[in-house]
Parts: sequence; structure tokens; C-alpha cells
Amino acid sequence: MSKVLTANKLIDGNSVWLNAQGEWIETIADAFIARHDEAVAALEETGKKAVSDNLVVDVAVIDVKETELGIWPIRLRERIRSHGPSVAYGYEALVQEQTQAA
Amino acid sequence: MYRYDEFDHAFVKERVAQFRDQVERRVSGDITEDAFKPLRLMNGLYLQLHAYMLRIAVPYGTMSPVQMRKLAHIARTYDRGYGHFTTRQNIQFNWPKLSDIPDILEELASVEMHAIQTSGNCIRNVTTDQFAGAAADEIADPRPYAEILRQWSSVHPEFSFLPRKFKIAVTGAPHDRAAIQVHDIGLQLVKNEDDEIGFKVYIGGGQGRTPMIAKKVRDFLPEEDLLTYVTAIMRVYNLNGRRDNKYKARIKILVHETGLDELKAQIEAEWQHLKDTDLKLPDADIEAITKYFEKPNLADRAEGWAQLAQWKKADAAFSGWIQQNVGPHQHPDYGTVTISLKPIGGVPGDATDAQMDLIADLAEEFGHHEIRVTHEQNLVFPHVALADLEPLYRVLAANGLATGNAGLVTDIIACPGLDYCALANARSIPVAQEISNRFGDAERQKTIGELKIKISGCINACGHHHVGHIGILGVEKKGTELYQITLGGSADENTSVGQIMGPGFEPEAITDAIEKVIDTYLELRVSDDETFIETYRRLGMKPFKTALYGEKTAA
Amino acid sequence: MSKIWTKTGFQSENEWGFLSEGAEYLSVEDAKGSSDTNLAVRVEPADDVHALSDKLENIALIAVNFSAFADGRAFSHAALLRDRLGFKGEVRAFGQVLLDQVPLMLRCGIDSFEVSDEATIKHLDAGHIPGIEHHYQPSMNEPAKANSYSWRYMANSG
Repeated sequence: MSKVLTANKLIDGNSVWLNAQGEWIETIADAFIARHDEAVAALEETGKKAVSDNLVVDVAVIDVKETELGIWPIRLRERIRSHGPSVAYGYEALVQEQTQAA
Repeated sequence: MYRYDEFDHAFVKERVAQFRDQVERRVSGDITEDAFKPLRLMNGLYLQLHAYMLRIAVPYGTMSPVQMRKLAHIARTYDRGYGHFTTRQNIQFNWPKLSDIPDILEELASVEMHAIQTSGNCIRNVTTDQFAGAAADEIADPRPYAEILRQWSSVHPEFSFLPRKFKIAVTGAPHDRAAIQVHDIGLQLVKNEDDEIGFKVYIGGGQGRTPMIAKKVRDFLPEEDLLTYVTAIMRVYNLNGRRDNKYKARIKILVHETGLDELKAQIEAEWQHLKDTDLKLPDADIEAITKYFEKPNLADRAEGWAQLAQWKKADAAFSGWIQQNVGPHQHPDYGTVTISLKPIGGVPGDATDAQMDLIADLAEEFGHHEIRVTHEQNLVFPHVALADLEPLYRVLAANGLATGNAGLVTDIIACPGLDYCALANARSIPVAQEISNRFGDAERQKTIGELKIKISGCINACGHHHVGHIGILGVEKKGTELYQITLGGSADENTSVGQIMGPGFEPEAITDAIEKVIDTYLELRVSDDETFIETYRRLGMKPFKTALYGEKTAA
Repeated sequence: MSKIWTKTGFQSENEWGFLSEGAEYLSVEDAKGSSDTNLAVRVEPADDVHALSDKLENIALIAVNFSAFADGRAFSHAALLRDRLGFKGEVRAFGQVLLDQVPLMLRCGIDSFEVSDEATIKHLDAGHIPGIEHHYQPSMNEPAKANSYSWRYMANSG
């Protein structure tokens, strides 16, 4: 069982993860991994406090796998949250369409 | 189109200031997230997977070039250079910061726009026919009534905390392009035997978890009674709609559980008290609002007929675009033009800031300064001279905006799905892209003919899958995405809810399954003119099911 | 701690007591059967205020319950009490009464507020009521007709 704490920052909405220093960071790679019940409980406490301090919203403890390539969320939803949309968007999408059309 | 007067300007300015204050109090901690959420939703602000999302109202889908340029500016300045046009004829931005929202709203107010009631349990943006005021089959222009409803519903003190969201659509033509029968209130403009204008009124349509087709409650409601009658419906709903279960809170469930006759009696009883109040519309007010929507001065351009015939002969792609994307106009020398936001393999409904700027320029040059957003996530120029179609097409084509697929298999509606949406269970966009690529060949699409595919990434049905000729619903099963297919849905004057075919398909298999359904249709149709939905209605589910699952399952 | 607020500010007198602190008002059902006068009645979200129509003379205060701030039934209760039944006494909001709903409540004819949310109390005390002066609908608190379309009004500053 490995879990990390995630949320969105109140002020800009960006997805963030809690690191070992107790900071909210914008990449999952350096998130603090809780591997036993006490550590998970501590994460939940930290999350509650951050919500009541109006730093973050939509806080959640999520399941992850530890792989050679780094932290890999179990749910697709969380993989998309941590790695961004699975499709190109904006100008990148335009380029993709034009390449395909050519 | 409608222009703000001093009153509207002052109102929107106050609304922006009100929201700025709410944001400040949220950040300072005076408002909790629970209490703030309905407030921000009522101003179109969601929190999605990656960021906030701001949905901006395009009232009944009508926009000016100046407004479109402002949207481009917002995309560039506050977002990531693109926006997404939605099935409620609005636009949404996927990456704004909460701290920037008040400034964005102020920018919008400067061009007579806002984000009021694009979400939340209140009366949402009123939608209508994208060809309103131009379509050849129109009885009356629905936009003045949509505008009156927009004003009346804005920050309504009694109806801002309804049991659930509330959607109203108005159509002015017998061929319904506004999907009124899947709305909480659907209004169809009709004339009575004395040639007076009024509405056929429907209530209780909706999609979501429990799709229902609206029921008719009035054959003819005089136009002067529009606001009194809608108020009566709203009050009965606000007091009696279910609040114990959000999936049973829409008016469709109230209609279903109370019974149409009983509910109709309650509405009529409430209306008896309201019909002669201040909300009864004076003729002068209806006329004054209607004046804003007078058609532009369309000069005769008869030379376009011969030119068009020549151009079509010379260029097959142009000819295909004309056939699909240009419709009949009230003026014989003009047409309505659909600008497809469904490039082959693209993201349905997305446009970059540069495309928005370009469309604004083209609307000024060729489109009499009018742009519409369609509920099928395309854009429309409602008044283009036939003589201007070729030059317009050239510029659109050079910028990836001339896909001639309106109404065809690649003109797919798709919600943002799990790539953006916090509620989604599965992705929608990649499925749309793969189907679009599979059927991208122009000839193949033409052979298949009219076919509406609609994709939702969860049961909330923002992608309107229930009313797709082919609907696709993404669900999550054991941690993976699974796609269910429905057939036979439709959202026009013959509205029907699609039926589920059978077990769902994995992401790798869904496009093949769709192809099999379409190939089956091509084999079974009696002529090239029989559309998919006609074949389905003639034969039912069975042959499609057999093709997809084999003889045994279908029996 | 709860306080009673009206447009003139926080009230030091509260004849009827605080519902949030256990004060007992008559239910709609009990009010219907009572022949007493000077009654205080509480209206729950699922109640029908029409049941009070022939008792209004005897009622001094009707408190409408916002049992959750997102439950908007009490807006309609207040509007019906004022507009349909012509109730002239005090209509009080109780339950989850939050600052941003107060302007809407006023417009529905509610004229006193049992408030316990600290931030709401702070802002009301500072005279900060975040409403909008321009209205696209009639209200129950007697707004002025705007010099415009029939459905437009201006908030009455009084």
C-alpha cells in the first residue's frame, strides 16, 4: 500500500501534491509516499489542516504504485491529473491535425 | 443583435464587483469552500482536474466579432491560447486562475458579456436555433424571447437555489434545431388561427442519468404570458422538486412522480395568481426587444447563383463543403454557413485564439457582423451572400476551418471527458478523434450520409449521448474505461432516447464496433437516401446487435 | 452565538428567542389549530404556507427555515407569504443564513435574520451587504420601477 496526498491550490486551481517537507508542489514525482496506516493518517490530517487554512481544496489521499519510473497513480483519473490531458490541445492539437492531414 | 443599455451595463458591472468581493472573502477565509462553491458556479467557475474552468455565456449562441476578439484575447492572456465551445452554445476556458477571474469578468463586461448562471442550480443560459433570424423555415425569430428570458432569469432572488440546474430552450421553426424536448422547459413558437404569436410549452425533458422526453403542458401560450407562466413553473418546481437525491432533483422527475395532469393543474393554479401581475409582458416591450434583432440589410446579390454553380463545378472539396455546411436562407441570394470545429482527428469544439480572431475578421468581411455558436459545437455565420462563399471558403480552408462535415459522421459532439472533467469516468476526446480519423475520408462520409455521433464521458450526459443516432457513454469498470453504445436517439422534432445495445467495449475496440454498426447500416439501407436513423427506426436494434454480438446474444 | 439582524442593524431585543438555541415556535400545523394571538410560527422547507392563510391576523412572526443554505424553498415561502397571502408581520430567516444570500432574502420579503456565522455577522456589522441594485424581476421589498422595460426595477435604498 502506497499513498500520496493531492489537492488543487485554492488561488490558481493547479493540481498539487504534498512533499516530504510539507510543501504543496506541482509535480507528483517528489510527492511524499505514505506506506503504513500512521503515515496515511498523518497525510489526512495535513490535508484537513490545509483545507481549513484555505490553501487547497478537493484534497484526497490516492493510491499509487512505486515503479522504476517513479510514482504511478493507480486510477486513470489521477494519472491524467498528474500528467495532464492525454490529448494534445491548443496549438499542439492544430499541428497534430495538420500533420495527419498531410 | 441585442445591445446592452445603461441598465444592463450597470447590472453586469455590479455583478463583477460582487464576485470580486466574494473571491476576496473566499481567499481570506470568510467563506468556506462549501459555501463558495454554489457562488462560483453561479458565475460559471468550476474546479476541474487540472485547474479551474470558466464557462462564459454566449446568450442563445449569438455573438459579435468584437466579442469573439475578446474571447481570443482572454484565451491568449489568461489561458493557454484556446477555448472550447460547448453544447449549451457557450465557451469555456480550461486553465484560468481564481485570482484572475474578476479581471476576466471585467474584460467580458466591457464587450457586453458575462459568465452569469452558466452553472449552478439556477436558470442556465437560454439556448435556441443557431439559424434563428435566418432560417428559411422559421415562423418567428426566437431570440427576442430568449433575451427576455435571459434578463428575467438573471440573479433571480427566488430561483437562485433551485433543487437542480434548469435549462430552457426556444425554437422558432417547426424543424427543431434547439433540442427543446430534452430541456426542463422547451418553448416552440407557433401562430394561432388569428395569426397571433405564442408558444407551445413543454416541460420535464432532460438527459443525465434518467433521460426523459418533455411533455406538452400548453398548446398555445400567448407571448404576453411568457414570464408569468415560466414563473409559475419555476415556483412549483422550487417548492416541490426533490432535494433528497441530486439524481432525482430535475423537474423531469417531478413530472414523472407527480403525474403530468396533477403538476399541470398546480402550475395553472399558480399561474392564475400571476397572470395579471407586473410580469405580464406589454406589447411595447416585446416590440422594443424584437427591434434589436432586425435582420441586417441584405442587398440583392443575384450574381452569386451563377458564380456558385461555376465554383462548385471547378472544385469538388468546395462543392462538398457547400453541400454539407451551407443551408437555405430567408433571402434567396444568401445562405447560412456552418464553420466546422470538427477537423478530422481534432478536438470537437476547440478553437485557438488566432482562429477566433480570424473568424471575427471574416464575420465582419462576409458575415454582416454576426457569429453563432451551435449546440453541436460548431460556429455559424447566419447571413452570407452566395457570391461571397468562395472567397470565405478559401480563407477558412487555409486555416483548418473548412471541414465539410456538418451533420456527417465526423461532426461528433463530445464532452471534455476525463481529460479535463472532475466528474468524468472515461475519456471522450480520444474516442471522438479515433472515430473521426477512421471515417475521415470525404467520400466515405458522404456515402454514409447524415449521422450524429454523440459521446459522453459519464452518466451526466453533457455529450448528449442519449440523443445521438449513435451514442457512446464512457464508464469506469474495474479501474478501466468501457464504452457503451446506444442507438436510435434523436433530438429534433422527433425526439427519441437511444437504446443500449449490449455490453460495453474497451477503448481499443470501440471504433471497430462503431464501424461495424455503420457497415451494417450501409448493407441494410433500402436506398442511398435512407439515413441511419431511418434505417434504425425501420428495423430496430436486432440486426445491429446481431452484427456486433452475434446471433445468440441478439435473440 | 446567534444574533438578530435587520436593515437597521443588529437588534438587542429578541422577544421570541433564538431558534438555533432551542426557542420553541409553533409549527404550521399547531398554528392552524391555535386561537391565540401574537404567535411566532416556524415554517419548515416542506411546509405549505397557504395553510396559514386564515391565521395571519394572529401571527406576529413567521420564521422560514434555510435548513441548508442551498435549499431555496424558503425563498418561495417568503415570497408567497408577502405576495400571495399579504402577510404584513415579520418574516425571519433562520438556519444557514449566510452573507451572500442575505440580499436575495431581503428581495423575497424576509426582513429579519437569525445569524450565527461569524464572518456573516462581521460583514453585516460593517454594513457590508453584497447585493446588486439593478433588478430584472419584481421583488417583495418594494423596489422602484426602473425607467425601462416592465420587468426591471431598482433597489429601494430605504
